Amino acid sequence: MEQSVKDRVSGIVLPVAFAAVLLVLWQTQALHAILGTDTFTFPLPGHIARILAGNVPKILENLSATCTVVFGGLAIGCVAGYGISVAAAMSPRWGVGGLRVIGAFNAIPIVALAPVVINLTRDVSGDVEVRSTVAKIIVVALLCAVVMSLGAYRGLTDLKPFSEDLLLSYAADRKTIFLKLRLPNSVPHIFIALRVIVPTSVISALISEYFAEYIIGIGRMIRDNITLAQYATAWAYIVVACGLGIASYAVLLLVEKLVCGKRWRT
Amino acid sequence: MVEISIKDLGMVYSRNETVALEGVTLDIERGEFVSLLGPSGCGKTTLLRIIANLLEPTSGALTVADGTPEQARKDRKYGIVFQSPVLQNWRTVRKNVELPLEIMHVPPMERRERADAMLHMVGLHRFFDAYPEELSGGMQQRVGIARALVIEPEILLMDEPFSALDEFTREKLQADLLQIWQESGKTIVFVTHNIAEAVYLSDRVCVFSPRPGRLSAVVDVKLKRPRPLEIRDTAEFVEYVARVRGSFEGV
Repeated sequence: MEQSVKDRVSGIVLPVAFAAVLLVLWQTQALHAILGTDTFTFPLPGHIARILAGNVPKILENLSATCTVVFGGLAIGCVAGYGISVAAAMSPRWGVGGLRVIGAFNAIPIVALAPVVINLTRDVSGDVEVRSTVAKIIVVALLCAVVMSLGAYRGLTDLKPFSEDLLLSYAADRKTIFLKLRLPNSVPHIFIALRVIVPTSVISALISEYFAEYIIGIGRMIRDNITLAQYATAWAYIVVACGLGIASYAVLLLVEKLVCGKRWRT
Repeated sequence: MVEISIKDLGMVYSRNETVALEGVTLDIERGEFVSLLGPSGCGKTTLLRIIANLLEPTSGALTVADGTPEQARKDRKYGIVFQSPVLQNWRTVRKNVELPLEIMHVPPMERRERADAMLHMVGLHRFFDAYPEELSGGMQQRVGIARALVIEPEILLMDEPFSALDEFTREKLQADLLQIWQESGKTIVFVTHNIAEAVYLSDRVCVFSPRPGRLSAVVDVKLKRPRPLEIRDTAEFVEYVARVRGSFEGV
């Protein structure tokens, strides 16, 4: 027990101390000397913080647009992906082949997928903001669905030896076997998939914003400010993007702990 | 009264034409403790799975509890215990034992009462709310036995239930199983590859030989009951073990 407390302290204190040292080196421009750069392309933390503080409404507007894409895509993608895995698990003959095709989607880079989807959704709505949001959500949802379907399929089909026989011995029908065995068996695999999906959905939302028609979102602000050589503003949005990624991952770990507890090991 | 009647049963796996069982004829009486003993590949587990209606035989006939094996399964006439405990890690011990009752739509209050009674019987009343991973292998297998018994089956089918346990735990569970059997009067079909285990537990030991899997001998074990663990040290017990060992063919 003592050991685990010690581990926990060192697991928190060390990274925080490292970050603090880095910040000090950064603010004192020691980092600039090491990297051979200047404060224009690599602005000081204090400068970035002032920009953040001075642009709260604009940042929130962009953050909210990005969050809509991240969490909308994540929710739709996960539900669709789980649905696909259930269908695949129910029909073993088509399931494996179907998932192999879906797995191939995994190899498509986001930078290739995003422009294609944006092109395909041009006629969805006359409102550019709406069709842009739809396109971005579709990109995120596609990527999430792929990861979720592959992960959940494993959870639905990779059963302990004899566990299906056991339920059959109680004359359980297919529906009961699904509800009492396959579904709960897939829970840890859902969370394993989510650990990939949550960071992926943030990244794919940011990148799909680069290509979107409507100019909004954290990712788009990073790109546009770099193009305009407003590096300090770009860095402010990079900080927000990091915060969004870290916060959503932290929420996932918390939910995982609450749901799984002693019951499921991930 | 015959509980399980097997006539000229054969099983050929179509996948590779393996003859798993050939011409097995055997009657098992109600309340009897019968072991199916043999080396791996002799078809003993295949026979148990056929009785449990988890496999269809390719020839011959059998009745279980006066009906087809399928009817017996659907009527929940048997409980089964596998080599591994097959517990659901996401359920507590109590919820694992309640699982078959949930499938049978038994009301929650009754479910809990019956599960708790079974866990008392197998000596796990202090572990109702524990999760399987917190229990030792022997305790997990006890949960499996409680779960098989909670549906109050006429027949208990056991497929090498103690083979993964250490010697000490195994002896304790064997003694406990005999006590449960004596109290409940169930028919038990017990698959094992351990000769001493078969002799210690059974009224009759059915000896199976491999390639093709067949019933090569049936040995009546007339050791008095109840059987204390020390009975294994008696000359009579050793003689039975030798007799059973002598009845294998082509191993």
